[in-house]
Amino acid sequence: MIFGKISEVKTKMDFIQWLGPDMSIKVLSYLDHPCDLVRVSSVSRSWNRFVIENGLCKQLFFEMFPEISDVVDSVEVDNMMIEPVTNMLDNCANWECLKREHKAYAVMAFKLKPYVKNCISKAIAASSTNNYPEESIVNTLEPGDRTENRASYWLSEGQSSPGVPESLVYKLCSKICLITKIRVQPFQAYFQDGSPIYSAYTIRFRIGHPRHHIKLESAIAHGIATSNMVGDTTQFVWTYTSPYYQMLQENQLQEFTLPEPALGIGGVLLVELRGRVQQQGLYYYIGISHVQVVGLPILQAFDVKTYQPSGKYTLKYCPPDNCIYSASSSRSDSNNHSRLWSLTSSITKLDVILFMMHCLVLVLGILLLMTKKL
Amino acid sequence: MAEEKSQASSSKMLTLKASDGVLFEVELNIAKEMKTVQAYIDDCEDIETIPIPNVLGKHLAIVIEYIKKTNEEYDAEFEKQWNMDDLQLLLLAANYLNISGLQECLCKAIAKRIENKSPEYVRKVFNIENDHSPEEEAKLRKEYKWAFEGVDKD
Repeated sequence: MIFGKISEVKTKMDFIQWLGPDMSIKVLSYLDHPCDLVRVSSVSRSWNRFVIENGLCKQLFFEMFPEISDVVDSVEVDNMMIEPVTNMLDNCANWECLKREHKAYAVMAFKLKPYVKNCISKAIAASSTNNYPEESIVNTLEPGDRTENRASYWLSEGQSSPGVPESLVYKLCSKICLITKIRVQPFQAYFQDGSPIYSAYTIRFRIGHPRHHIKLESAIAHGIATSNMVGDTTQFVWTYTSPYYQMLQENQLQEFTLPEPALGIGGVLLVELRGRVQQQGLYYYIGISHVQVVGLPILQAFDVKTYQPSGKYTLKYCPPDNCIYSASSSRSDSNNHSRLWSLTSSITKLDVILFMMHCLVLVLGILLLMTKKL
Repeated sequence: MAEEKSQASSSKMLTLKASDGVLFEVELNIAKEMKTVQAYIDDCEDIETIPIPNVLGKHLAIVIEYIKKTNEEYDAEFEKQWNMDDLQLLLLAANYLNISGLQECLCKAIAKRIENKSPEYVRKVFNIENDHSPEEEAKLRKEYKWAFEGVDKD
């Protein structure tokens, strides 16, 4: 570490050199997504070396899956054996080996990372909004309570009774996901005296879908999905309701883990907030700065097709082999006709070969019979 | 000396002197949170003024404040207030003074600031020159294409 005139030296020195290897490893160890580590390794050559030489991707993978060393003995990449998983880093001194290890663990961590931040695709509406559009539900899609230019939060209308609940409704992303937890950050009015936090006492979640998809889609598209829709119990069919959780009066992204993962299929999520904590003047308000839905994406082989008049969805199953085939033929020409043609033409070729082989066998068989008879 | 020892240790005051000469009077139990200072005290019991040659007054003030107030709520607010330069200097200070709680808080804070950000953003924030050749960089981006998607806008 460098002491002395740090404030002058630091602006010219590399973060990793300046903080020292131990402290730098500590900082980078708090990055809990393999994508972050890969991006960090692309910042410069020295950072690249640092991430790879210190096996940070391997370290992250073991934090995610400490049980892996009980199951996996070693990893092989490009027909070359990487050091066994229980091995310490020092034994893998060769740079090429370290690079292979870095890539293998980065990719494995990425593929296995059960973490999708953006299960929310859109904000639909809030049960009430104090100051629309400045304090609208759309702000809750932004992390934190402020952007560069302004504060970013949703605030309900004021109520004289603290018992009046509020709800926020979001559209989930169209792919299928299994929702495991929801994170909510209450809003702290940092610009008000005393920085009050406008949280609720309790919170719960409901997952479902709209009764009238087209009506809702149209309302969203035209920006007229209203607070009335949120309050109207006939608008939605709720397929899952979570228990109530206690919300803390703290300005942090609070995590609520569902007792069991809940299936979200192109539907909606409702965040229900009960019990107003904070007053301003005569009225009680609830304010939220950020909402995040964490889930596990289900296999790519399933897709969600548009809904039926029954109000339910059709799931399309497209196994990987067929998908690759149709994807590659669709690259040249995306219309159905040409896909059918390439599909038909290759079947025809196969059939022709088989047919000819059958003919050959038949002819040989007949010849044999004829010679025997003679 | 006898008189000093008869005082309750929690009310005994110590003076810490920062690198730019700024003096801070702190209670002993606060100073003891800094394991480096603790080691100093263990070595020379009578000491009243402890020099801290590697930390500016500005940063020592923040560190002392942190120790006095520390709890989870304060942590969350604490890390938001400082720019990246200050965070790094504070981390160096916390490391030198050997305050593990503050070290952790600052490491987390720095990591949080680079989470989900592009390499360009990270280079800008830490003032790092990109010494990859264009071919090297293109190769990296191609090889790890999945890592460069869905990044926060700079």
